[in-house]
Amino acid sequence: MGNPIKIIKNGIVDENPTFRQVIGMCPTLAVTSSAINGIGMGLSTAAVLICSNVVISLLRKIIPDKVRIPAFVVVIASFVTIVQFLLQAYVPFLNDALGLYIPLIVVNCIILGRAEAFASKNNPVDSFFDGIGMGLGFTVALTVLGLVREFLGAGTLFGIAVLPEAFPDTLMMIMSPGAFLTLGVLMAILNYFTNKKSA
Amino acid sequence: MKEIVRPAVILLIITAVAAALLGAVESITAEPIALANEKTQNEAMQAALPAAATFEDVDAELTGTISLIKEGLDESGATVGYVIVTNPGGFGGSVPTTVGIGMDGVITGISVTTPSETPGLGAKAAEPEFQAQFAGMSGTLAVSKDGGQVQAITAATITSRAVVTGVNEATTWFAENGGAN
Repeated sequence: MGNPIKIIKNGIVDENPTFRQVIGMCPTLAVTSSAINGIGMGLSTAAVLICSNVVISLLRKIIPDKVRIPAFVVVIASFVTIVQFLLQAYVPFLNDALGLYIPLIVVNCIILGRAEAFASKNNPVDSFFDGIGMGLGFTVALTVLGLVREFLGAGTLFGIAVLPEAFPDTLMMIMSPGAFLTLGVLMAILNYFTNKKSA
Repeated sequence: MKEIVRPAVILLIITAVAAALLGAVESITAEPIALANEKTQNEAMQAALPAAATFEDVDAELTGTISLIKEGLDESGATVGYVIVTNPGGFGGSVPTTVGIGMDGVITGISVTTPSETPGLGAKAAEPEFQAQFAGMSGTLAVSKDGGQVQAITAATITSRAVVTGVNEATTWFAENGGAN
């Protein structure tokens, strides 16, 4: 490690939290009914992840091993609450769209997972880049899921109609089953290409 | 002993710092948040009762799911109608519905927010296309599926019914209280 570009690429491609590690599935499946929701959730998570990674890395030599999990959770929960206050105060429309999901960032295992697997073992600079990489990887995955589901389910991309009115909307794609189907198909496609490359 | 005390003290310090930080952020953002909420509320009331220039508190008991009642005044200070906020239960949670009613009992407009409805389905109740049809209606409403005059949102009958329930609650309150004043 130590190479920022390598760390970022690792988060987006090699160890993509959604498609490779398959963690943080609850918000992934719940919010991706539209592309803009996916971006919003991805970026809010990335912001919290970057902050919590840096702080946990700074505190890694102070926090005793026995109480590390409660200490991590306190740090993460504090950042989430701060993000929510700031969104409510200064970007209320984003808060209206994501309001329900922001508290869910606390229990998003990507953040606790990176605290445990990376930030508590690496220096703050590397942890910062790990936060960016994993955060972007999560954002990209959520946006792609949102784009596919919004296109098939509502005939729009980022709220702009792209399919003719006569084209029937597949409502199921915006509902829960659509989330599972899209995720499964996207993972299968990715695996197909990675396997082909390594073979 | 030291092995128990040291982690406990460090954890205490971390939580204390976090609490202090949260308190500070809360006190800074409290005012902008209140302003933002008030602005949203005012925009909803203005959309529901466009004829009103200002809104005044009404001295009335809040019944059922009604959370706010305001009297709309025009520039000369005459009452042009009432704005009533109801919170009927939708698919995912309550659906705050702001209903504007003119003095003749006819609905002047509604404004719906959908904090917990399904995006792309029930959440469409927050869009103008659905809300516009309510203006000009009066009496007890129902969705077309139940033999009424309100066009429900495709695949979101529960949310549509919730909005209708909220509107009915508001008109009922008006008939019982506002109309008599």
